[in-house]
Amino acid sequence: MVFIVDDDEDMRLAMQRILKTVKLRAELFATAQDFLQRNIPDVPSCLVLDVRLPGMGGLEVQQKLIESGINIPIIFITAHGDIPMTVKAMKSGAFEFLTKPFRHQEFLDAIHQALQRDQLARRQRNAMAELQERYKGLTVRERKVMDLVVSGMQTKQIASALGTSEITAAVHRGRVMHKMQAGSPAELGSMAERLKPSANR
Amino acid sequence: MKDSFDVSAIFERIHPEDREKVSREAAEVISNGTHAKSEHRIVLPSGEVRVILGLGTVKRDASGKAYEMFGTGQDITERKLSEQALRQSQFYLSEGERLAHIGSWASADLGIRWSEDLNLYWSDEVYKIFGFDPKNGTPSLQQFLSAVHPQDQASLTATMKKLHEQHCGCDVTNRIVRPDGEIRYVRCVGIPVVEDGVFKGYRGTTMDVTEQELLTQELRREKAYLAEGQSLTHAGSWACNLVKRRIVHSSDENARLYGFDPSQGPIPFDHYYNTILAEDESAISAKLGNAIREGADYDVEFRIRRTDGAIRFLRGIGHHNPSQEIGEYVGITMDITEQKHAEQERERLRQLEADLAHINRVNMMGELAGTLAHEIKQPIAAAVANAGACLGFLEGERPDILEAREAASGTIGCARRAAEIIDHVRSLFKKDLPQREPVDLNELIREITLLLKGDIRRNSVTVNLELGEDLPKVLGDRVQLEQVLMNLMLNAIEAMRDANGSLTIASKATEDGHLLISVSDNGVGIPTDKIDRVFDTFFTTKPQGTGMGLAISRSIVESHGGRLWAASDSDRGSTFRFTLPNKV
Repeated sequence: MVFIVDDDEDMRLAMQRILKTVKLRAELFATAQDFLQRNIPDVPSCLVLDVRLPGMGGLEVQQKLIESGINIPIIFITAHGDIPMTVKAMKSGAFEFLTKPFRHQEFLDAIHQALQRDQLARRQRNAMAELQERYKGLTVRERKVMDLVVSGMQTKQIASALGTSEITAAVHRGRVMHKMQAGSPAELGSMAERLKPSANR
Repeated sequence: MKDSFDVSAIFERIHPEDREKVSREAAEVISNGTHAKSEHRIVLPSGEVRVILGLGTVKRDASGKAYEMFGTGQDITERKLSEQALRQSQFYLSEGERLAHIGSWASADLGIRWSEDLNLYWSDEVYKIFGFDPKNGTPSLQQFLSAVHPQDQASLTATMKKLHEQHCGCDVTNRIVRPDGEIRYVRCVGIPVVEDGVFKGYRGTTMDVTEQELLTQELRREKAYLAEGQSLTHAGSWACNLVKRRIVHSSDENARLYGFDPSQGPIPFDHYYNTILAEDESAISAKLGNAIREGADYDVEFRIRRTDGAIRFLRGIGHHNPSQEIGEYVGITMDITEQKHAEQERERLRQLEADLAHINRVNMMGELAGTLAHEIKQPIAAAVANAGACLGFLEGERPDILEAREAASGTIGCARRAAEIIDHVRSLFKKDLPQREPVDLNELIREITLLLKGDIRRNSVTVNLELGEDLPKVLGDRVQLEQVLMNLMLNAIEAMRDANGSLTIASKATEDGHLLISVSDNGVGIPTDKIDRVFDTFFTTKPQGTGMGLAISRSIVESHGGRLWAASDSDRGSTFRFTLPNKV
């Protein structure tokens, strides 16, 4: 889904038409407020945003989305082409910046790339979410075992670290691998890495 | 002579009218007197009348009784006649003097010896002039001088001294004060008397010239007023013959107008004519020629170069009286340089005003420039996008012709919109002289609203149009009226910046044949102490404002015959209203 926010009606309709040529659907909004009230569906999407909008400007919208944790890629469009604005937008994480009038192919390329990026991002987020779910399912002991496995300890070492029998240790280890759906200690290791708070964005 | 003759016969000769007188005188002498003297007329047998002077002596006896009279009889007819003639001529002279108020005087001493009375003789009329009584005799020198007006005594005394010393003539006019207090002007003419080469004194005339003197003074005053009047109005009067090129009369002011000095004497016609600038001369010559031929009056304007080099505008008005000779004109010339300059100034100002209005328009456009660039790019970008979409629909194995066609139409529509905006902007930049044509104000309002769409959206303004139906048209300059509307609307939008304001534009026809347009906003409003000043030139609250917008808008509305005024509630917004007469 492509979301288009531009105060010029002709422009909105024209952009929608371009997307129609590649059978992409678009939702049109005249103001930023209208868009922000829309709940973003869970499909790969991107946002086409005019920098100069009545009321809330494009850059402000970008800020608001960042604050709300919404990660939709933003393609800025503008009739002006001033560099400070461009720099600011890009630094804040804009995906692309197009100056009107732009060639339709340019526009389509940007849209496709943005959608791809969004799809990738979603997958990653989903994967991450799943991983976290799995981790949540571990008991306290299992989490400890996981840490020890990741540190490279053998079962015997784990048993003595925990103060339990080797079998108990082996059983724990098995359950952790199963719950986390890790195929190998190495895989578990990278999962653990990913689960670290600093990895979460 | 016979020894005795008939007394009665003698008596009979006596003129009948004198007989009684003679008898009486004779009887008187005989009874009382000694000497007889009698003048009486006799009538000779021929009928001739003679005058006789009879002188006689009466002889009396011891008792005093008259017994004899002897004497002479003298024919004094000639003497009497000449006496009569003299008396007559004296009478005529006296009458003449009386009628002319001229008296005669003579002095036997003046010029010879200075005495208390100068041996002065005065005729009756002189006494009358001075109001003296001849019975009191000739006045002394002192009496005479005291009759002279105090302010003139010194000069008269000096004149007399001069006569006395130099034996010259005089003709002086001084004031006297009559015994009744009346002041009269008296002219005294004196000539020295010389007989056989010997100076014998003076004789002369004295005239009461009060009436003439007062008249002369009046005339002199009026002449001065006239000159003053001409001088003040820079108008000179003249009379001349245009054919003969001769000046009959030219006032001092006339000379001054041309830069000549009136005190240098009369100025010839050509001197005046040659000051006319070469460029103006042929036209003037033609106009005057026509007037002269038709015997008509003329009213011409021309420029001259004065002797000091200055160029002046003059207006000459000439009048020809049909009873006069051809070419004879009387008239005035006025210096109209100041008026001409004022006219030129007015023209210049009008041009400046138009320039200023243009600058204001350009300024306003400058303010809109940023907006307009944006405005124009939008439809162009949309057109490009539509065209791109059209291409997109045509690509591939199965082109979507329907969609492609729609996209192409979209392209055309957007491109047209861009062209419209450009046209609009261009018309606002044009520096034309005001054109008057029928203008539909509702249409104008809609157009401006469209033009300002960008600003309206950007400032989140809601526009309400309350336009009267069947609004009559206005005869006016479209571009100027657009300027007014744009100015008011931009101001309103500015006042509501960042405030989600609402802008209401209303139009309606009023009962008195006008249109009333109002532009209201609910923005910051105008403080009451400033509301009168908003229309002042150079009054602005904007940092980059020129302060000309409202002043020029008001000037435009007023030049169309309308009024522009403002009402404001601080914090509740302002309403600007203007009226325009409808095209009738």
